[in-house]
Amino acid sequence: MNLKAVNPQALSGGTIQLTTPPPEKTLHSMLYFMKLTRELEFRIERKLYRQGKIVGGVYVGRGQEAIAVGACIDLRHEDVVCPSHRDMGAFLIRGMSLRTIFAQYMARKTGATRGKDGNMHMGDLNLNLVPFISMLADNIPVATGIALSFKMRSQDRVALCFFGDGATSRGDFHEGVNMAAVLKVPVVFICNNNQYAYSTPLERQMAVANVADRAEAYGIPGEIVDGNDVLAVWDAVARAIERTRIGHGPTLIECKTFRMTGHSAHDDAGYVPHELFELWEERDPIKRFERYLSERGMITQGGIEEIDKRINREIDEAIQIAEKDPFPDPEDTLKDVYHEG
Amino acid sequence: MAEIKVIMPQMGESIFEGTLTKWLKKKGDRIKRDEPLFEISTDKVDSEIPSPASGVLQDVLVNEGQTVQINTVVAVIGDDLPASGTLEGAAPAPQSRAESTEKPVKTREDRSPEVRSSPLVRRIAKEHEVALAALAGKGTGISGRITKRDILSYIEQGGSVTKTGLTPPAAPAPPTKPAATALQSSALTGDGERVPMTAMRKSIAEHMVHSRRTSAHVTTFFEVDCSRILQAREKSKPDFERAGVKLTVTPFFVQAAASALKRFPIVNSSLDGDTIVYKLAINIGIAVNIEGGLIVPVVKSAGEKNLLGMARAINDLGERARNKKLTPDDVKDGTFTITNPGQYGGLTGTPIINQPQVAIMSMGGIKKRAVVIDDAIAIRSMIILSLSFDHRVIDGATADQFMADIQKQLESWQA
Amino acid sequence: MALTTYVEAIRQGIWEEMEKDERVFVLGEDVGIYGGAFKVTAGMLERFGEWRIIDTPISESAIVGAAIGAALMGMRPIAEMQFADFIACAFDQITNFAAKSRYRWGAGVPIVIRAPSGGGVHGGPFHSQNPEMYFVHTPGLKVVCPSTAYDAKGLIKAAIRDPDPVIYFEHKYLYRRIKEELPSDDFIVPIGKAAIRRHGTDISVITYGAMVYTALEAAKELEKEGIDLEVMDLRSLLPFDREAVLDSVKKTNKVILLHEDTRIGGFAGELASVISEEAFEYLDGPIRRITAPDTPVPYSPPLEEFFLPKASDVVRVARELYAY
Repeated sequence: MNLKAVNPQALSGGTIQLTTPPPEKTLHSMLYFMKLTRELEFRIERKLYRQGKIVGGVYVGRGQEAIAVGACIDLRHEDVVCPSHRDMGAFLIRGMSLRTIFAQYMARKTGATRGKDGNMHMGDLNLNLVPFISMLADNIPVATGIALSFKMRSQDRVALCFFGDGATSRGDFHEGVNMAAVLKVPVVFICNNNQYAYSTPLERQMAVANVADRAEAYGIPGEIVDGNDVLAVWDAVARAIERTRIGHGPTLIECKTFRMTGHSAHDDAGYVPHELFELWEERDPIKRFERYLSERGMITQGGIEEIDKRINREIDEAIQIAEKDPFPDPEDTLKDVYHEG
Repeated sequence: MAEIKVIMPQMGESIFEGTLTKWLKKKGDRIKRDEPLFEISTDKVDSEIPSPASGVLQDVLVNEGQTVQINTVVAVIGDDLPASGTLEGAAPAPQSRAESTEKPVKTREDRSPEVRSSPLVRRIAKEHEVALAALAGKGTGISGRITKRDILSYIEQGGSVTKTGLTPPAAPAPPTKPAATALQSSALTGDGERVPMTAMRKSIAEHMVHSRRTSAHVTTFFEVDCSRILQAREKSKPDFERAGVKLTVTPFFVQAAASALKRFPIVNSSLDGDTIVYKLAINIGIAVNIEGGLIVPVVKSAGEKNLLGMARAINDLGERARNKKLTPDDVKDGTFTITNPGQYGGLTGTPIINQPQVAIMSMGGIKKRAVVIDDAIAIRSMIILSLSFDHRVIDGATADQFMADIQKQLESWQA
Repeated sequence: MALTTYVEAIRQGIWEEMEKDERVFVLGEDVGIYGGAFKVTAGMLERFGEWRIIDTPISESAIVGAAIGAALMGMRPIAEMQFADFIACAFDQITNFAAKSRYRWGAGVPIVIRAPSGGGVHGGPFHSQNPEMYFVHTPGLKVVCPSTAYDAKGLIKAAIRDPDPVIYFEHKYLYRRIKEELPSDDFIVPIGKAAIRRHGTDISVITYGAMVYTALEAAKELEKEGIDLEVMDLRSLLPFDREAVLDSVKKTNKVILLHEDTRIGGFAGELASVISEEAFEYLDGPIRRITAPDTPVPYSPPLEEFFLPKASDVVRVARELYAY
């Protein structure tokens, strides 16, 4: 993949140069949420899961933190996010608490689904966060409908919809993107192209070079960005949102990135050539962004350590609480199938 | 070939009706002579009835579950189908719809095969303490099934059955218990399932009580050394087997009894009012245990059979009794009965006389026992024979002499 | 007062709800300018505009998906499947997203999916199906099958107002054949309630959709023979009116289960189980099913005629059961 064509700085571990970068406060938030995402998922995948405290599967987005963070950091509360399963940053930015997330992974009653569903299938309408389901790309038509409801009511809101490269092979991707394009609804489609769908590499997933190439077929703009550069993501999404807010319809943004783990916690990713991990380790979004900030005097090593300490403290506290949270009552099984007036 | 009428056979001299429990062929079926055609249940016997002729079952006149008098025509067998060539026209029409392959669901019929009903009918019967057997043959549903209408009208007319017996619908209605009370009381007394008697069971019950009321039962016991007959049996076994006959000990006892009956004709008699009737033939009934009760097929002219003939006759009757293949003749005209509870290890018994006979002999189990012979203790295979006799016509002395005769024959058996 | 057809009753129901509640909108193929393949939405585009009567691409999955998304945002979408047969294309969105949403995260999905179903119109395998049972087997969904104009209107209104996803099977054969006088006031037919179309004492025929008329026709015929059928119209399959079914069975003690859907896995199987579990001791005969055979819906008239259950089938089975 010719990432250089997209982002000449990427190979050297640099970032794009924005004429109007976000304010410093936003930059700090970006760093915090990327680091929080990484540490949270590290604890879940490498600690709690291995301690047998996690119920079911674990799918993390290590190496992909910049995408959700860059895309969501500037959203308004009334905007709606439909994340995918490697977009933990979206949940955190929208305001889902660490305790709720840990409780969710530990199948507690206090989890986002009260024990009814697992891992990343979290949602909360109060946070305008619509959960992903295991059928990949199903959230694309749903996001289209969310955006449609904004357009119908002339609401100044947008929907952000995340999915992976594998999901674009499903019919619902086509149906959803096409319908959004036809109806010109305010939605931004964000593809985390992490090069692998479980064990299947991209070239066995599609015959075009880029997911974004497909945009042309739907008559919408397609843009490829360096998914490991939080500012590049932020910039592309900001432009797409601006465009869609004024009624120009959806954009398809392809974020080139790499899955730095297996598909799930039980997958050692033995099928991924080791050099690829090494190559992408150099493009690690957090390290790159730390360098960006320190080069501009926006953060010191001490400041970074301060953030790490804060994150560890917050996570430790949340785990402590969540571990003591109750499991659901068995009879909850029968509840909430239908509205219980 | 003319039409052959198939009748409800007389399964025993006191029998006047029988219940057709099951058709084994249906209308239009081809049947061979002697092939099983239907099953019946009478007071005395449950039996499979063979077709009297070959042909086609032209008409079925009695439904399953229906009870009819003996000699009632239950079916007509007609000429065989014409030779092949025209068979094609007789092929069944193609099914018009998927549904037409359905058959009414067969439900388990209230434990007595002759009474067909439904879950609803059984529940109503239980609530009103009606034994469905009381409606046997009166059902108006398909195959004589008792329908909701049948049982409701039966109850309306006052029909109900108490625990002790039948109250016919014509009799004044006893108060019916409400369901809740009935259930509650059975819960308190710990009653289990309530199952109506089968026709056979009822018949046995009636006969036993009737006999007890009729005869002055006295029982006498004799101990018999079986060593000789066991030796004789061992010796004759191979010859019998070559003749295709399995030799048990029973034929020895039947033969000894037949022989003794010749010398003691009073034991081979019956009482007709004030008149003693001495029977000409010696026909010995052998009680056979079958599913649901017992039946007594009769070895005709037992006094005229040698051991081989006797064994063959007994085996044949036992076999056919268990397979429900007895004919009405097989259970008729007994003059004396032998029962053999010993086969299950019983020491001895006090059997009830099979009316209108006047005596019944029971065989206990043969067991090796220590006996004193010439002041020495010896081990011998012993049996206790008992004879229940009707003291109205047989005195104790006669009975004992009769038994002593049998004892002597058996103990001195010459192989 | 004028008679209202079944199809017009649906239209009226939607129209009235849209007038009353601006959250209600329609999306589907050819629903706008064309007024729907069966003209259920005729005239609505002019009245409500293109953002409440939305013509979509041929994308059943996206139609339902978009309806789900809009519903999550507080709208009351009515998604039209042009033919119920095409609902298979949206199966995933319906059964995985819509049906499980409330259970998973407490967010109800108040959508109505309209599905013109049923045979008798020579539509062949892809324009005649009765796919209700896929959805009856999916907890979280509601499934209704109106048979009269009154119910068509009352149930579409109830479905629109319902907080959960409702699949509304409207029978194409009834669209213009069935008409009746409707009350002018606002009414709904509660989901989950059956109706007895004919009271009888001998046999209960439990059915729904167009087969209600098949049962009534048979009842008329059997009346001459003194066989008195009770005809129950379930109206809703999920949830279904268990109490009404059991009451009727306990009254007549004999039951025929009739549907146009195919046999294996049809609703009759479920009803038969419930009846035998809960009213076994009230049965005076076997539970009988009359259904379409287990084949696709054929096209040629003699084939379709053979396929569809007929009044004569009901008459035949009822006679057998009556004599049982």
